[in-house]
Amino acid sequence: MNNKESQKVLERRDFFKKTAALSVTAIAGTSLVSSNARADDPAIINNVPWGQKWGDPVTKNRYGMPSKYEHNVLRRNTKLLASGNFRASIAVAPIQESMGIITPNGLFFSRCHGGVAQIDPNEYRLMIHGLVEKPIVLTLEQLKRYPSVTRTHFIECPANGGQEWRGPQFNSVQFAKGFMSSAEWTGVYIKTILEDLGLKPEAQWMLAEGSDNSEMGRTVPVDKVLDDAMIVWGQNGEALRPEQGYPVRLLLPGWEGNLCVKWLKRLEFATEPWYCKEETSKYTDLKPTGKAIQHFYANEVNSTVTSPSPEIDWTHLKDGDIVEIEGLAWSGMGTITGVDLSFDGGRNYVKANLKGLVLPKSWTRWSYIHTYKKGEVLQLTSRAMDDAGYIQPTIDQEVSVMGVEAVYHRNAVETWEVNAKGEVNHVQIRS
Amino acid sequence: MFKLDRKLIITASAAAAVALFTLGCNGGETGTTASTKVNGKATIDGGVTYPVVNGKTGPYYVNPQVAQVAPKLYNGRVPTANELKAWDKDIMPDGTGLPEGSGSVEDGEEVYDAKCVMCHGDFGSGGGGYPALSKGNAYDLQKTLTNNRWKDPDADGPTRVFGSYWPQVSTLFWYIKDGMPHPFSKSLTDDEVYALVAYVLNINEMEIDGEEVDDEYVLDREKFLKIKMPNRDGFEPNIAGPGALDRVRAYYADAKNFGGQNLHQGAERCMTNCQKETAKTKRINGGITNFLPPMSDVRDLPAVKEVKVDPVAVYKSTCAMCHDSYLAPGSAEWSGYLAEGMDTVYAKGIKGTEGGMPAKGGTDLSDANFKTVVDYITSGKVK
Repeated sequence: MNNKESQKVLERRDFFKKTAALSVTAIAGTSLVSSNARADDPAIINNVPWGQKWGDPVTKNRYGMPSKYEHNVLRRNTKLLASGNFRASIAVAPIQESMGIITPNGLFFSRCHGGVAQIDPNEYRLMIHGLVEKPIVLTLEQLKRYPSVTRTHFIECPANGGQEWRGPQFNSVQFAKGFMSSAEWTGVYIKTILEDLGLKPEAQWMLAEGSDNSEMGRTVPVDKVLDDAMIVWGQNGEALRPEQGYPVRLLLPGWEGNLCVKWLKRLEFATEPWYCKEETSKYTDLKPTGKAIQHFYANEVNSTVTSPSPEIDWTHLKDGDIVEIEGLAWSGMGTITGVDLSFDGGRNYVKANLKGLVLPKSWTRWSYIHTYKKGEVLQLTSRAMDDAGYIQPTIDQEVSVMGVEAVYHRNAVETWEVNAKGEVNHVQIRS
Repeated sequence: MFKLDRKLIITASAAAAVALFTLGCNGGETGTTASTKVNGKATIDGGVTYPVVNGKTGPYYVNPQVAQVAPKLYNGRVPTANELKAWDKDIMPDGTGLPEGSGSVEDGEEVYDAKCVMCHGDFGSGGGGYPALSKGNAYDLQKTLTNNRWKDPDADGPTRVFGSYWPQVSTLFWYIKDGMPHPFSKSLTDDEVYALVAYVLNINEMEIDGEEVDDEYVLDREKFLKIKMPNRDGFEPNIAGPGALDRVRAYYADAKNFGGQNLHQGAERCMTNCQKETAKTKRINGGITNFLPPMSDVRDLPAVKEVKVDPVAVYKSTCAMCHDSYLAPGSAEWSGYLAEGMDTVYAKGIKGTEGGMPAKGGTDLSDANFKTVVDYITSGKVK
């Protein structure tokens, strides 16, 4: 934040330097467009260095990298969410910088339970066994020979926002809501493979197990396996990144990211569930009754404002500027059908506008055009709905059922307060 | 082959499909064919599915040939018995997969102190960011699970550790065997795992079949299968036994179970006065701020440490194309230029010349690095 502040000070200083020789009215803020005495922009007047010399040869980056100037657009972490030297840990995605409904592979959030495994694809094997007529072992090449499908889905850690059940903690949309990312995934429906393997009628549950050092495992009901569960190897048109389970992960569209087992090694079918570590000790939602929800699958309908944000605020806006308030909406239960926006912390809403592609179990972009009044104080709250009929609850509504100790699946409306200076702070509206 | 009633690939006509499937749309703008039911049963997660209608699932086209060939696709091979044995090592609550063996609390403590304590702390107290394995008596701590700080933020919260929270002990054996110790997983013998489980039961002050797991206790498979976790009934929906999937479907069909808000058949949503009157603005108090790396949206050049380049390698990849035929490394042709002094030679190289030398030869090397390349070309030697 210090960098950012100093940058702004610099920008302002530059502006005054440029206008210092000019009339007092220009300095007083008269529109540059209408002023006769305007500062020339050196970025236009002077030759720029890259305009007068060779650029890089096309041979330079055989695998392209972002501009060096984008070096602050990064996955970030915090020690409070880190176990063991960042091996059982999370790095969250900079959703304040994200565009559209796809996360670049290098910025996709990364959560692992024993470090990011680096797998030799030549030694990769997938075993499917248990209550199937014909068990199978597949190499990567054999797996990829199945007819593929490509689908755009978000993956969200169900602990997204989970640090804030008892009050706001993160003055950052990256940390408050960035435990998720979205990609176009390529792989095969498990039901396609099972057409031949033959699932036995008594099969109720599937164990999915990773080959990393923690053998991350989860139990999946066959309903999902026979609906849209996929085994994926492609992410945004290239191989999965190691952080996303290279060479193969399970993808259960819309369901907890933890269920989408990475570095996938084994699928076993059985009549009884398994009680893996990450579906008992963790990823269970303790309610005030003392009972905890186990097997909480879908990430429920959710949304947030992503612009403005504490990271990229409105302090640079002038009175009367027309600005787009933007955000994301998503539901693991279905397709986003609409988003409402409140300027007073969720007391009163207007309908916001969806934009771009609206896909099932996918990030969905929404926006609302606003005319900024310098000095106004706003509490921006978004609220999404899906075609399963769900709408985001207020914090009071959600807490009245779930209490504040659940950790996971918090999907109450989120509020971002714009103060009189245009700074943005994360707040909650609750009793 | 699995039975027809388990297939979800629907080939019915659009008209039939509309009759078959409940439209879950809530006055939506997107108009996809969503269904809250599958073969007459509620979805497993309370959400909707998108049956294939008119060759599409939701917005996605489906290649109809795949359904025809899928029953004939078998791209791999059958695993051998040894391969199954090597990988099928999961352990279920009924003892499926649990190996024979035994271990004492005393041996467990020894293994723990040698391989576990550095992460999990003395007597499983936690530390280093790794979870605690015990906070005291499991039976007492299980009673804290109704503690909830929703009304009194200063009250004690629930204690969720192995003894007080986990529903099954099979999970502990399985995870230690497969995933521990983190940097050397799958290295413990079955007897060592029994010993560690015995030790973890001991520090959680648990008992087996009425007998306290004291410092002298020796755990084996038979005793292991008698362990009853204090919180075994602490989870919902009940996923064990027959009818489990129906119970899960029923659970998620009711939004009240998990704090959801369902507008049921397009009821009007609240647009005015949607917060309780008691709801106030709650701001961050302290909060979590130690972000790594620090938050910034500045677009500038990153601070980079200068890495020395190999002038010969740079020459070969970048300069040789032109310089091999004129002003080659160490060539006598350089003498006239060198007479102007090295500073001039450097400056011409850095800025480029109208004679065809691109600035820095088209590289983005630092001045210092570029000068080492100039030194090489002009002398034929690496300094």
